[in-house]
Amino acid sequence: MKPALFYLIFFGILSGLLGCKKDHVENVPPGQDWTYDPTPFEIKAPASFPILNIPVGNPTTVEGVKLGRMLYYDPVLHSDSLRACASCHSQERSFTSDPPVLPHVNLAWNTSFLWNGKVEGALEDIMLFEVKEFFKTDLEKLQNHQDYPKLFYEAFGARTITHELCAKALSQFQRTLISGKSKYDRVLEGTNWVFLTDEELNGFDIFFTEKGDCFHCHGGILFTDNSFHNNALDASPEPARSAITSNPADVGKFKSPTLRNIELTGPYMHDGRYETLEEVVDFYSEGLKTSETVDPLMKSLHLGGKHLTTQEKSDLIAFLKSLTDTAFIADTALASPFH
Amino acid sequence: MKNIYSSFLSILFAFTAILFLTTCKKESQNGFVHLHFNHAVGTEELVLNNAWYPCAAGHLFSVVRLKYYTSNFSMHRSDGTAFQVNEAHYRDAETPETESFTLKDVPNGEYTGLSFILGLDEAANVDGGLPNTTTNINMEWPLPGDQGYHYMKLEGKYDSLSTGVLRNFNLHTGATGGNQNYVEISLLFHHPMRLNGDTWNISLAMDLEEWLEHPHVYDFDAFEPTIMGNQDAQQALKENGADVFSVTSVERE
Repeated sequence: MKPALFYLIFFGILSGLLGCKKDHVENVPPGQDWTYDPTPFEIKAPASFPILNIPVGNPTTVEGVKLGRMLYYDPVLHSDSLRACASCHSQERSFTSDPPVLPHVNLAWNTSFLWNGKVEGALEDIMLFEVKEFFKTDLEKLQNHQDYPKLFYEAFGARTITHELCAKALSQFQRTLISGKSKYDRVLEGTNWVFLTDEELNGFDIFFTEKGDCFHCHGGILFTDNSFHNNALDASPEPARSAITSNPADVGKFKSPTLRNIELTGPYMHDGRYETLEEVVDFYSEGLKTSETVDPLMKSLHLGGKHLTTQEKSDLIAFLKSLTDTAFIADTALASPFH
Repeated sequence: MKNIYSSFLSILFAFTAILFLTTCKKESQNGFVHLHFNHAVGTEELVLNNAWYPCAAGHLFSVVRLKYYTSNFSMHRSDGTAFQVNEAHYRDAETPETESFTLKDVPNGEYTGLSFILGLDEAANVDGGLPNTTTNINMEWPLPGDQGYHYMKLEGKYDSLSTGVLRNFNLHTGATGGNQNYVEISLLFHHPMRLNGDTWNISLAMDLEEWLEHPHVYDFDAFEPTIMGNQDAQQALKENGADVFSVTSVERE
Protein backbone atom coordinates (compact mmCIF):
# COMPACT_ATOMS: atom_id res chain seq x y z
CA MET A 1 0.00 0.00 0.00
CA LYS A 2 1.30 3.44 -0.92
CA PRO A 3 2.04 5.62 2.11
CA ALA A 4 -0.13 8.45 0.78
CA LEU A 5 -3.15 6.19 0.48
CA PHE A 6 -2.38 4.66 3.89
CA TYR A 7 -2.32 8.07 5.57
CA LEU A 8 -5.46 9.09 3.76
CA ILE A 9 -7.34 6.03 5.02
CA PHE A 10 -5.79 6.34 8.48
CA PHE A 11 -6.76 9.98 8.91
CA GLY A 12 -10.11 9.33 7.38
CA ILE A 13 -10.95 6.66 9.96
CA LEU A 14 -9.46 8.73 12.78
CA SER A 15 -11.43 11.84 11.91
CA GLY A 16 -14.51 9.73 11.47
CA LEU A 17 -14.04 8.29 14.94
CA LEU A 18 -13.28 11.65 16.49
CA GLY A 19 -16.25 13.14 14.73
CA CYS A 20 -18.50 10.44 16.09
CA LYS A 21 -17.12 10.87 19.55
CA LYS A 22 -17.56 14.61 19.41
CA ASP A 23 -21.17 14.29 18.30
CA HIS A 24 -21.87 11.86 21.13
CA VAL A 25 -20.39 14.16 23.74
CA GLU A 26 -22.42 17.07 22.48
CA ASN A 27 -25.72 15.18 22.60
CA VAL A 28 -25.28 13.64 26.03
CA PRO A 29 -23.56 15.80 28.65
CA PRO A 30 -21.74 14.21 31.64
CA GLY A 31 -22.60 10.60 32.17
CA GLN A 32 -22.56 8.99 28.77
CA ASP A 33 -22.43 5.61 30.51
CA TRP A 34 -25.57 6.31 32.57
CA THR A 35 -28.57 4.07 32.08
CA TYR A 36 -32.10 4.38 33.35
CA ASP A 37 -33.54 0.89 33.67
CA PRO A 38 -34.64 0.54 37.31
CA THR A 39 -35.26 -2.88 38.81
CA PRO A 40 -38.45 -3.26 40.92
CA PHE A 41 -37.72 -3.80 44.63
CA GLU A 42 -39.99 -6.14 46.55
CA ILE A 43 -40.82 -4.91 50.05
CA LYS A 44 -41.03 -7.90 52.37
CA ALA A 45 -43.32 -7.31 55.35
CA PRO A 46 -44.74 -9.95 57.69
CA ALA A 47 -48.09 -11.32 56.51
CA SER A 48 -49.71 -10.01 59.68
CA PHE A 49 -48.84 -6.40 58.77
CA PRO A 50 -51.52 -4.14 57.25
CA ILE A 51 -51.92 -3.65 53.51
CA LEU A 52 -49.16 -1.30 52.36
CA ASN A 53 -50.15 1.60 50.12
CA ILE A 54 -47.28 2.89 48.00
CA PRO A 55 -47.93 6.12 46.05
CA VAL A 56 -48.24 5.41 42.31
CA GLY A 57 -45.70 8.12 41.50
CA ASN A 58 -42.90 6.51 43.49
CA PRO A 59 -42.61 2.77 42.88
CA THR A 60 -39.88 1.13 44.95
CA THR A 61 -36.78 0.19 42.95
CA VAL A 62 -33.38 -1.27 43.79
CA GLU A 63 -31.76 1.94 42.49
CA GLY A 64 -34.12 4.19 44.48
CA VAL A 65 -33.58 2.31 47.75
CA LYS A 66 -29.80 2.36 47.22
CA LEU A 67 -29.83 6.12 46.62
CA GLY A 68 -32.18 6.73 49.56
CA ARG A 69 -29.92 4.75 51.86
CA MET A 70 -26.90 6.83 50.81
CA LEU A 71 -28.76 10.10 51.31
CA TYR A 72 -30.00 8.90 54.74
CA TYR A 73 -26.43 8.40 55.94
CA ASP A 74 -24.74 11.28 54.10
CA PRO A 75 -24.36 14.71 55.80
CA VAL A 76 -24.22 16.23 52.32
CA LEU A 77 -28.01 16.32 52.55
CA HIS A 78 -27.91 18.93 55.33
CA SER A 79 -27.13 22.52 54.43
CA ASP A 80 -24.50 22.54 57.21
CA SER A 81 -22.97 19.27 55.92
CA LEU A 82 -22.55 18.13 59.53
CA ARG A 83 -25.68 16.09 60.17
CA ALA A 84 -27.34 13.24 58.33
CA CYS A 85 -30.77 11.68 59.00
CA ALA A 86 -28.88 8.88 60.72
CA SER A 87 -27.30 11.32 63.20
CA CYS A 88 -30.60 11.43 65.12
CA HIS A 89 -31.91 8.08 63.89
CA SER A 90 -29.26 5.52 64.68
CA GLN A 91 -29.83 1.90 63.81
CA GLU A 92 -28.57 0.45 67.09
CA ARG A 93 -31.28 2.45 68.90
CA SER A 94 -33.97 1.35 66.45
CA PHE A 95 -33.54 4.56 64.46
CA THR A 96 -34.09 7.06 67.24
CA SER A 97 -31.81 8.96 69.65
CA ASP A 98 -31.62 11.03 72.80
CA PRO A 99 -33.37 13.52 72.93
CA PRO A 100 -36.15 11.38 71.55
CA VAL A 101 -37.24 11.69 67.96
CA LEU A 102 -39.93 9.31 66.76
CA PRO A 103 -38.20 6.12 65.63
CA HIS A 104 -38.02 5.37 61.92
CA VAL A 105 -39.69 2.00 62.30
CA ASN A 106 -42.53 0.78 60.08
CA LEU A 107 -43.21 4.38 59.02
CA ALA A 108 -44.49 3.08 55.68
CA TRP A 109 -47.84 2.46 57.40
CA ASN A 110 -48.07 5.95 58.92
CA THR A 111 -50.22 8.76 57.64
CA SER A 112 -49.17 11.48 60.09
CA PHE A 113 -45.68 12.37 61.18
CA LEU A 114 -43.73 14.11 63.96
CA TRP A 115 -44.85 14.28 67.60
CA ASN A 116 -47.49 16.92 66.89
CA GLY A 117 -48.54 15.57 63.48
CA LYS A 118 -47.28 18.65 61.67
CA VAL A 119 -47.05 16.73 58.39
CA GLU A 120 -49.79 14.46 57.12
CA GLY A 121 -49.91 12.26 54.05
CA ALA A 122 -47.41 9.76 52.73
CA LEU A 123 -43.71 9.27 53.48
CA GLU A 124 -42.97 11.43 50.44
CA ASP A 125 -44.67 14.36 52.18
CA ILE A 126 -42.70 14.12 55.42
CA MET A 127 -39.44 13.46 53.58
CA LEU A 128 -40.01 16.53 51.41
CA PHE A 129 -40.54 18.56 54.58
CA GLU A 130 -37.32 17.18 56.09
CA VAL A 131 -35.24 17.84 52.97
CA LYS A 132 -36.64 21.23 52.02
CA GLU A 133 -37.50 22.86 55.33
CA PHE A 134 -35.58 21.03 58.07
CA PHE A 135 -32.29 20.17 56.33
CA LYS A 136 -32.57 22.96 53.71
CA THR A 137 -30.74 20.67 51.33
CA ASP A 138 -28.41 22.51 48.97
CA LEU A 139 -29.21 21.02 45.58
CA GLU A 140 -26.08 22.55 43.99
CA LYS A 141 -23.92 20.41 46.26
CA LEU A 142 -25.70 17.26 45.13
CA GLN A 143 -25.73 18.32 41.47
CA ASN A 144 -21.95 18.94 41.54
CA HIS A 145 -21.20 15.81 43.55
CA GLN A 146 -19.09 13.14 41.83
CA ASP A 147 -21.58 10.30 42.47
CA TYR A 148 -25.09 11.60 43.04
CA PRO A 149 -26.05 12.90 39.55
CA LYS A 150 -25.50 9.39 38.14
CA LEU A 151 -27.37 7.72 41.02
CA PHE A 152 -30.35 10.05 40.61
CA TYR A 153 -30.39 9.32 36.88
CA GLU A 154 -30.31 5.58 37.51
CA ALA A 155 -33.12 5.82 40.06
CA PHE A 156 -35.40 8.35 38.36
CA GLY A 157 -34.14 8.98 34.82
CA ALA A 158 -33.69 12.65 35.74
CA ARG A 159 -30.63 14.81 35.16
CA THR A 160 -31.74 17.62 37.43
CA ILE A 161 -31.75 16.83 41.14
CA THR A 162 -34.73 18.28 43.02
CA HIS A 163 -35.94 18.26 46.62
CA GLU A 164 -38.84 16.09 45.45
CA LEU A 165 -36.49 13.44 44.06
CA CYS A 166 -34.45 13.44 47.29
CA ALA A 167 -37.73 12.90 49.19
CA LYS A 168 -38.74 10.08 46.86
CA ALA A 169 -35.43 8.26 47.31
CA LEU A 170 -35.49 8.69 51.09
CA SER A 171 -39.10 7.40 51.16
CA GLN A 172 -38.11 4.30 49.23
CA PHE A 173 -35.38 3.51 51.75
CA GLN A 174 -37.72 4.30 54.66
CA ARG A 175 -40.18 1.72 53.34
CA THR A 176 -37.53 -0.93 53.89
CA LEU A 177 -37.12 -0.03 57.59
CA ILE A 178 -39.49 -2.81 58.65
CA SER A 179 -39.29 -4.33 62.09
CA GLY A 180 -41.31 -7.54 62.34
CA LYS A 181 -38.95 -10.26 63.53
CA SER A 182 -39.14 -9.89 67.30
CA LYS A 183 -39.66 -12.84 69.60
CA TYR A 184 -43.32 -11.85 69.80
CA ASP A 185 -43.61 -12.06 65.99
CA ARG A 186 -42.03 -15.50 65.97
CA VAL A 187 -44.50 -16.66 68.63
CA LEU A 188 -47.40 -15.28 66.55
CA GLU A 189 -46.08 -17.11 63.50
CA GLY A 190 -46.03 -20.34 65.49
CA THR A 191 -42.27 -20.89 65.27
CA ASN A 192 -41.26 -24.15 66.91
CA TRP A 193 -39.70 -23.88 70.36
CA VAL A 194 -40.34 -20.14 70.59
CA PHE A 195 -42.87 -19.21 73.26
CA LEU A 196 -43.61 -16.44 75.73
CA THR A 197 -42.48 -17.11 79.31
CA ASP A 198 -45.10 -17.07 82.07
CA GLU A 199 -44.04 -13.52 82.94
CA GLU A 200 -44.25 -12.34 79.31
CA LEU A 201 -47.61 -14.05 78.89
CA ASN A 202 -48.97 -12.36 81.99
CA GLY A 203 -47.60 -9.06 80.64
CA PHE A 204 -49.35 -9.78 77.33
CA ASP A 205 -52.66 -10.20 79.20
CA ILE A 206 -52.13 -6.94 81.07
CA PHE A 207 -51.23 -5.17 77.81
CA PHE A 208 -54.15 -6.50 75.75
CA THR A 209 -56.92 -6.27 78.36
CA GLU A 210 -58.34 -3.31 80.23
CA LYS A 211 -56.15 -4.35 83.17
CA GLY A 212 -53.27 -2.34 81.71
CA ASP A 213 -55.22 -1.09 78.68
CA CYS A 214 -52.10 -0.27 76.69
CA PHE A 215 -53.57 -1.60 73.44
CA HIS A 216 -56.12 1.09 72.67
CA CYS A 217 -53.28 3.47 71.75
CA HIS A 218 -50.34 1.11 71.25
CA GLY A 219 -52.21 -1.90 69.89
CA GLY A 220 -52.46 -3.85 66.68
CA ILE A 221 -49.53 -5.48 64.97
CA LEU A 222 -47.77 -2.11 64.59
CA PHE A 223 -48.13 -1.30 68.31
CA THR A 224 -49.38 2.21 67.57
CA ASP A 225 -52.75 3.60 66.52
CA ASN A 226 -51.02 6.41 64.57
CA SER A 227 -53.22 8.85 66.43
CA PHE A 228 -52.82 11.62 68.99
CA HIS A 229 -53.59 11.53 72.69
CA ASN A 230 -53.10 13.50 75.88
CA ASN A 231 -51.87 10.68 78.12
CA ALA A 232 -52.23 12.66 81.37
CA LEU A 233 -48.53 13.51 81.55
CA ASP A 234 -48.89 17.04 82.95
CA ALA A 235 -51.39 19.10 84.93
CA SER A 236 -50.59 22.03 82.59
CA PRO A 237 -49.97 20.32 79.27
CA GLU A 238 -47.95 21.75 76.39
CA PRO A 239 -49.84 23.06 73.32
CA ALA A 240 -48.60 19.96 71.43
CA ARG A 241 -50.92 19.16 68.50
CA SER A 242 -53.05 22.26 69.11
CA ALA A 243 -50.09 24.33 67.83
CA ILE A 244 -50.77 22.74 64.43
CA THR A 245 -54.57 22.47 64.42
CA SER A 246 -55.44 25.57 66.53
CA ASN A 247 -58.05 23.32 68.16
CA PRO A 248 -58.07 23.72 71.97
CA ALA A 249 -59.20 20.07 72.20
CA ASP A 250 -55.75 19.09 70.92
CA VAL A 251 -53.78 20.65 73.78
CA GLY A 252 -51.36 18.09 75.25
CA LYS A 253 -51.90 15.57 72.44
CA PHE A 254 -48.84 13.84 71.03
CA LYS A 255 -48.54 10.99 68.60
CA SER A 256 -48.57 7.45 70.00
CA PRO A 257 -45.12 6.06 69.21
CA THR A 258 -44.76 2.43 68.22
CA LEU A 259 -43.74 0.17 71.10
CA ARG A 260 -41.76 -2.10 68.79
CA ASN A 261 -38.14 -2.07 70.03
CA ILE A 262 -39.23 0.09 72.97
CA GLU A 263 -36.42 -1.46 75.01
CA LEU A 264 -33.94 0.28 72.67
CA THR A 265 -35.60 3.67 72.17
CA GLY A 266 -35.32 5.38 75.55
CA PRO A 267 -35.45 7.93 77.02
CA TYR A 268 -39.22 7.99 76.88
CA MET A 269 -42.11 10.41 76.22
CA HIS A 270 -41.86 13.25 73.68
CA ASP A 271 -39.40 15.12 75.91
CA GLY A 272 -37.42 12.13 77.14
CA ARG A 273 -38.36 12.75 80.77
CA TYR A 274 -38.24 9.06 81.73
CA GLU A 275 -34.98 7.17 81.47
CA THR A 276 -36.30 3.66 81.98
CA LEU A 277 -39.31 1.53 81.15
CA GLU A 278 -39.83 1.08 84.89
CA GLU A 279 -40.37 4.84 85.25
CA VAL A 280 -42.80 4.81 82.32
CA VAL A 281 -44.87 1.97 83.78
CA ASP A 282 -44.84 3.68 87.20
CA PHE A 283 -46.25 6.79 85.54
CA TYR A 284 -49.15 4.90 83.92
CA SER A 285 -49.72 3.03 87.16
CA GLU A 286 -49.67 5.87 89.69
CA GLY A 287 -48.64 9.15 88.09
CA LEU A 288 -51.54 10.36 85.91
CA LYS A 289 -52.30 14.07 86.10
CA THR A 290 -55.70 15.54 85.28
CA SER A 291 -56.13 18.26 82.71
CA GLU A 292 -59.01 19.24 80.46
CA THR A 293 -57.96 17.36 77.36
CA VAL A 294 -56.83 14.06 78.91
CA ASP A 295 -57.93 11.25 76.61
CA PRO A 296 -61.06 9.32 77.66
CA LEU A 297 -58.98 6.19 77.08
CA MET A 298 -57.10 7.03 80.28
CA LYS A 299 -59.88 5.12 81.99
CA SER A 300 -58.32 5.18 85.46
CA LEU A 301 -57.56 8.89 85.43
CA HIS A 302 -59.78 9.50 88.46
CA LEU A 303 -57.70 6.94 90.37
CA GLY A 304 -54.37 8.39 89.22
CA GLY A 305 -53.56 5.30 87.18
CA LYS A 306 -53.92 1.55 86.83
CA HIS A 307 -52.31 0.68 90.18
CA LEU A 308 -50.48 -2.42 89.02
CA THR A 309 -48.61 -4.55 91.53
CA THR A 310 -44.82 -4.78 91.44
CA GLN A 311 -45.12 -8.22 89.84
CA GLU A 312 -47.60 -6.98 87.23
CA LYS A 313 -45.30 -4.09 86.34
CA SER A 314 -42.30 -6.34 85.81
CA ASP A 315 -44.40 -8.82 83.82
CA LEU A 316 -45.62 -6.00 81.58
CA ILE A 317 -42.04 -4.87 80.98
CA ALA A 318 -41.03 -8.48 80.24
CA PHE A 319 -43.69 -8.56 77.54
CA LEU A 320 -42.57 -5.19 76.13
CA LYS A 321 -39.05 -6.57 75.81
CA SER A 322 -40.38 -9.44 73.68
CA LEU A 323 -40.98 -6.75 71.02
CA THR A 324 -37.24 -6.19 70.58
CA ASP A 325 -36.10 -7.07 67.07
CA THR A 326 -32.36 -7.73 67.16
CA ALA A 327 -32.30 -8.81 63.50
CA PHE A 328 -33.60 -5.35 62.57
CA ILE A 329 -30.85 -3.42 64.32
CA ALA A 330 -28.21 -5.81 62.93
CA ASP A 331 -29.54 -5.81 59.34
CA THR A 332 -26.60 -4.73 57.16
CA ALA A 333 -28.96 -3.73 54.33
CA LEU A 334 -30.22 -0.95 56.59
CA ALA A 335 -26.79 0.12 57.86
CA SER A 336 -24.58 2.91 56.55
CA PRO A 337 -23.28 2.23 53.02
CA PHE A 338 -20.16 4.31 53.80
CA HIS A 339 -17.34 2.45 55.45
CA MET B 1 -103.97 18.48 4.83
CA LYS B 2 -100.30 19.25 5.14
CA ASN B 3 -100.95 20.34 8.74
CA ILE B 4 -102.69 17.12 9.65
CA TYR B 5 -99.90 15.20 8.03
CA SER B 6 -97.18 17.05 9.94
CA SER B 7 -98.98 16.78 13.29
CA PHE B 8 -99.45 13.05 12.59
CA LEU B 9 -95.72 12.85 11.98
CA SER B 10 -94.86 14.69 15.19
CA ILE B 11 -97.20 12.47 17.21
CA LEU B 12 -95.61 9.42 15.61
CA PHE B 13 -92.18 10.84 16.41
CA ALA B 14 -93.11 11.63 20.02
CA PHE B 15 -94.60 8.17 20.45
CA THR B 16 -91.48 6.51 19.07
CA ALA B 17 -89.32 8.68 21.29
CA ILE B 18 -91.33 7.73 24.38
CA LEU B 19 -91.19 4.09 23.41
CA PHE B 20 -87.45 4.39 22.83
CA LEU B 21 -86.84 6.19 26.11
CA THR B 22 -88.88 3.77 28.18
CA THR B 23 -87.14 0.83 26.53
CA CYS B 24 -83.80 2.44 27.35
CA LYS B 25 -84.84 2.99 30.92
CA LYS B 26 -85.86 -0.61 31.24
CA GLU B 27 -82.36 -1.62 30.22
CA SER B 28 -80.83 0.29 33.17
CA GLN B 29 -82.73 -1.77 35.72
CA ASN B 30 -80.69 -0.88 38.77
CA GLY B 31 -80.00 2.19 40.84
CA PHE B 32 -77.87 3.46 43.68
CA VAL B 33 -78.73 4.10 47.31
CA HIS B 34 -76.43 6.28 49.40
CA LEU B 35 -76.82 5.68 53.14
CA HIS B 36 -75.75 8.71 55.20
CA PHE B 37 -74.74 8.20 58.83
CA ASN B 38 -75.28 11.29 60.98
CA HIS B 39 -75.23 11.71 64.75
CA ALA B 40 -77.37 13.62 67.21
CA VAL B 41 -77.93 13.97 70.90
CA GLY B 42 -81.68 14.37 71.37
CA THR B 43 -82.69 17.09 68.95
CA GLU B 44 -79.20 18.57 68.58
CA GLU B 45 -76.58 17.60 66.04
CA LEU B 46 -73.59 15.97 67.76
CA VAL B 47 -70.63 18.28 68.37
CA LEU B 48 -67.42 16.56 69.48
CA ASN B 49 -65.42 17.91 72.43
CA ASN B 50 -66.71 20.49 74.89
CA ALA B 51 -70.42 20.32 74.06
CA TRP B 52 -72.21 19.04 77.15
CA TYR B 53 -75.42 17.02 77.00
CA PRO B 54 -77.72 15.72 79.73
CA CYS B 55 -78.42 11.99 79.98
CA ALA B 56 -81.14 9.93 81.66
CA ALA B 57 -78.97 9.01 84.65
CA GLY B 58 -78.56 12.72 85.40
CA HIS B 59 -74.97 13.27 84.29
CA LEU B 60 -73.76 15.84 81.84
CA PHE B 61 -71.60 14.18 79.22
CA SER B 62 -69.33 15.23 76.39
CA VAL B 63 -68.25 13.10 73.43
CA VAL B 64 -64.64 12.92 72.24
CA ARG B 65 -64.79 10.02 69.76
CA LEU B 66 -67.39 7.95 67.96
CA LYS B 67 -66.36 5.11 65.66
CA TYR B 68 -68.44 2.11 64.69
CA TYR B 69 -69.25 -0.56 62.13
CA THR B 70 -72.55 -1.21 60.44
CA SER B 71 -72.96 -4.25 58.21
CA ASN B 72 -75.31 -6.71 56.47
CA PHE B 73 -77.59 -4.16 54.84
CA SER B 74 -81.01 -5.27 53.56
CA MET B 75 -83.35 -3.09 51.52
CA HIS B 76 -86.85 -4.52 52.04
CA ARG B 77 -89.52 -4.52 49.30
CA SER B 78 -93.27 -4.31 49.78
CA ASP B 79 -93.63 -7.89 48.47
CA GLY B 80 -91.59 -9.22 51.38
CA THR B 81 -88.39 -9.83 49.40
CA ALA B 82 -85.14 -7.98 50.08
CA PHE B 83 -81.94 -6.83 48.40
CA GLN B 84 -78.91 -7.65 50.56
CA VAL B 85 -75.35 -6.31 50.76
CA ASN B 86 -73.18 -8.22 53.22
CA GLU B 87 -70.41 -5.66 53.56
CA ALA B 88 -69.23 -3.72 56.60
CA HIS B 89 -69.07 0.07 56.71
CA TYR B 90 -66.72 1.89 59.12
CA ARG B 91 -67.89 5.27 60.35
CA ASP B 92 -65.73 7.73 62.28
CA ALA B 93 -67.61 10.88 63.32
CA GLU B 94 -64.37 12.84 62.91
CA THR B 95 -63.79 11.72 59.31
CA PRO B 96 -66.23 13.16 56.74
CA GLU B 97 -65.11 10.61 54.10
CA THR B 98 -66.78 7.86 56.15
CA GLU B 99 -70.15 9.66 56.25
CA SER B 100 -71.87 7.59 53.60
CA PHE B 101 -72.01 4.03 52.30
CA THR B 102 -73.29 3.27 48.81
CA LEU B 103 -75.46 0.30 47.94
CA LYS B 104 -74.70 -0.32 44.26
CA ASP B 105 -76.79 -2.10 41.67
CA VAL B 106 -79.99 -1.92 43.69
CA PRO B 107 -82.79 -3.52 41.58
CA ASN B 108 -85.80 -1.41 40.65
CA GLY B 109 -88.74 -1.79 42.95
CA GLU B 110 -90.77 -0.37 45.79
CA TYR B 111 -88.81 -0.37 49.04
CA THR B 112 -90.49 0.09 52.39
CA GLY B 113 -87.60 -0.16 54.80
CA LEU B 114 -83.99 -0.88 55.65
CA SER B 115 -82.35 -3.22 58.13
CA PHE B 116 -78.72 -3.67 59.12
CA ILE B 117 -76.46 -4.74 61.93
CA LEU B 118 -74.75 -2.30 64.24
CA GLY B 119 -71.51 -4.20 64.68
CA LEU B 120 -70.51 -7.36 62.83
CA ASP B 121 -72.08 -10.79 62.54
CA GLU B 122 -70.49 -14.08 63.65
CA ALA B 123 -68.81 -14.64 60.28
CA ALA B 124 -67.12 -11.23 60.10
CA ASN B 125 -66.35 -10.81 63.79
CA VAL B 126 -63.37 -13.13 63.96
CA ASP B 127 -59.67 -12.25 64.09
CA GLY B 128 -58.76 -11.18 60.55
CA GLY B 129 -62.43 -11.19 59.51
CA LEU B 130 -62.13 -7.74 57.93
CA PRO B 131 -59.50 -6.56 55.42
CA ASN B 132 -56.10 -5.98 57.04
CA THR B 133 -56.16 -2.17 56.97
CA THR B 134 -54.77 0.09 59.68
CA THR B 135 -58.32 1.31 60.37
CA ASN B 136 -59.64 -2.19 61.00
CA ILE B 137 -56.55 -3.11 63.03
CA ASN B 138 -57.21 -0.11 65.27
CA MET B 139 -60.69 -1.51 65.93
CA GLU B 140 -59.41 -4.96 66.97
CA TRP B 141 -60.85 -6.52 70.14
CA PRO B 142 -57.77 -8.31 71.42
CA LEU B 143 -59.03 -9.61 74.78
CA PRO B 144 -57.54 -13.08 75.30
CA GLY B 145 -60.30 -15.62 74.65
CA ASP B 146 -62.44 -13.23 72.58
CA GLN B 147 -62.38 -12.57 68.84
CA GLY B 148 -62.90 -9.89 66.27
CA TYR B 149 -63.35 -6.14 66.49
CA HIS B 150 -64.87 -3.36 68.57
CA TYR B 151 -68.37 -2.79 67.18
CA MET B 152 -68.38 0.73 68.55
CA LYS B 153 -66.06 3.08 70.41
CA LEU B 154 -68.09 5.88 71.97
CA GLU B 155 -65.70 7.76 74.23
CA GLY B 156 -65.97 10.89 76.30
CA LYS B 157 -66.25 12.47 79.71
CA TYR B 158 -69.01 12.92 82.21
CA ASP B 159 -69.72 14.89 85.33
CA SER B 160 -69.79 12.31 88.07
CA LEU B 161 -72.53 13.44 90.45
CA SER B 162 -71.30 11.30 93.31
CA THR B 163 -67.77 12.68 93.32
CA GLY B 164 -68.29 16.03 91.63
CA VAL B 165 -65.28 15.50 89.36
CA LEU B 166 -65.00 14.76 85.67
CA ARG B 167 -64.53 11.13 84.78
CA ASN B 168 -64.02 9.28 81.54
CA PHE B 169 -66.45 6.89 79.91
CA ASN B 170 -65.78 4.41 77.13
CA LEU B 171 -68.72 2.60 75.60
CA HIS B 172 -66.69 -0.07 73.83
CA THR B 173 -69.06 -2.69 72.52
CA GLY B 174 -68.18 -6.07 71.06
CA ALA B 175 -68.43 -9.81 71.50
CA THR B 176 -67.23 -11.19 74.80
CA GLY B 177 -67.46 -14.49 76.65
CA GLY B 178 -69.24 -16.11 73.70
CA ASN B 179 -71.97 -13.44 73.51
CA GLN B 180 -72.13 -11.84 70.07
CA ASN B 181 -73.81 -8.62 71.27
CA TYR B 182 -74.33 -7.05 67.85
CA VAL B 183 -77.48 -4.98 67.46
CA GLU B 184 -80.10 -5.61 64.78
CA ILE B 185 -81.57 -2.38 63.46
CA SER B 186 -84.88 -2.29 61.51
CA LEU B 187 -86.16 0.96 60.07
CA LEU B 188 -89.39 1.65 58.16
CA PHE B 189 -89.54 4.48 55.65
CA HIS B 190 -92.32 7.05 56.11
CA HIS B 191 -93.25 6.62 52.45
CA PRO B 192 -92.28 3.80 50.09
CA MET B 193 -89.16 4.49 48.04
CA ARG B 194 -89.80 3.78 44.36
CA LEU B 195 -86.42 3.08 42.87
CA ASN B 196 -86.39 3.12 39.09
CA GLY B 197 -82.83 3.11 37.80
CA ASP B 198 -82.12 6.30 39.74
CA THR B 199 -80.11 7.36 42.77
CA TRP B 200 -81.56 7.83 46.26
CA ASN B 201 -80.18 9.28 49.48
CA ILE B 202 -81.29 7.83 52.80
CA SER B 203 -80.22 9.88 55.81
CA LEU B 204 -79.95 8.11 59.14
CA ALA B 205 -79.36 9.63 62.54
CA MET B 206 -77.87 7.89 65.55
CA ASP B 207 -79.22 9.54 68.70
CA LEU B 208 -76.56 9.06 71.38
CA GLU B 209 -79.10 9.73 74.13
CA GLU B 210 -80.79 6.46 73.17
CA TRP B 211 -77.71 4.48 74.20
CA LEU B 212 -78.24 5.72 77.72
CA GLU B 213 -81.97 5.64 78.43
CA HIS B 214 -84.17 2.99 76.86
CA PRO B 215 -85.02 0.35 77.98
CA HIS B 216 -82.17 0.62 80.51
CA VAL B 217 -81.00 3.81 82.13
CA TYR B 218 -77.26 3.41 81.61
CA ASP B 219 -75.40 5.07 84.47
CA PHE B 220 -71.68 5.62 83.80
CA ASP B 221 -71.13 5.51 87.57
CA ALA B 222 -72.80 2.10 87.92
CA PHE B 223 -70.49 0.51 85.38
CA GLU B 224 -66.74 1.07 85.63
CA PRO B 225 -65.11 2.73 82.61
CA THR B 226 -63.80 -0.71 81.65
CA ILE B 227 -66.73 -2.67 80.20
CA MET B 228 -65.20 -4.74 77.41
CA GLY B 229 -65.43 -7.96 79.39
CA ASN B 230 -68.54 -6.96 81.36
CA GLN B 231 -71.49 -8.78 79.77
CA ASP B 232 -74.05 -6.96 81.96
CA ALA B 233 -72.95 -3.66 80.48
CA GLN B 234 -72.71 -5.16 76.97
CA GLN B 235 -76.23 -6.62 77.29
CA ALA B 236 -77.69 -3.29 78.46
CA LEU B 237 -76.06 -1.46 75.53
CA LYS B 238 -77.17 -4.14 73.07
CA GLU B 239 -80.77 -3.70 74.19
CA ASN B 240 -80.52 0.09 74.27
CA GLY B 241 -78.95 0.07 70.79
CA ALA B 242 -82.03 -1.31 69.04
CA ASP B 243 -83.62 2.15 68.71
CA VAL B 244 -80.60 4.45 68.42
CA PHE B 245 -81.09 4.91 64.67
CA SER B 246 -83.92 6.67 62.89
CA VAL B 247 -84.55 7.62 59.28
CA THR B 248 -84.47 11.39 58.85
CA SER B 249 -85.05 11.56 55.10
CA VAL B 250 -85.44 9.44 51.96
CA GLU B 251 -84.93 11.51 48.83
CA ARG B 252 -84.38 10.99 45.13
CA GLU B 253 -81.19 12.67 43.91
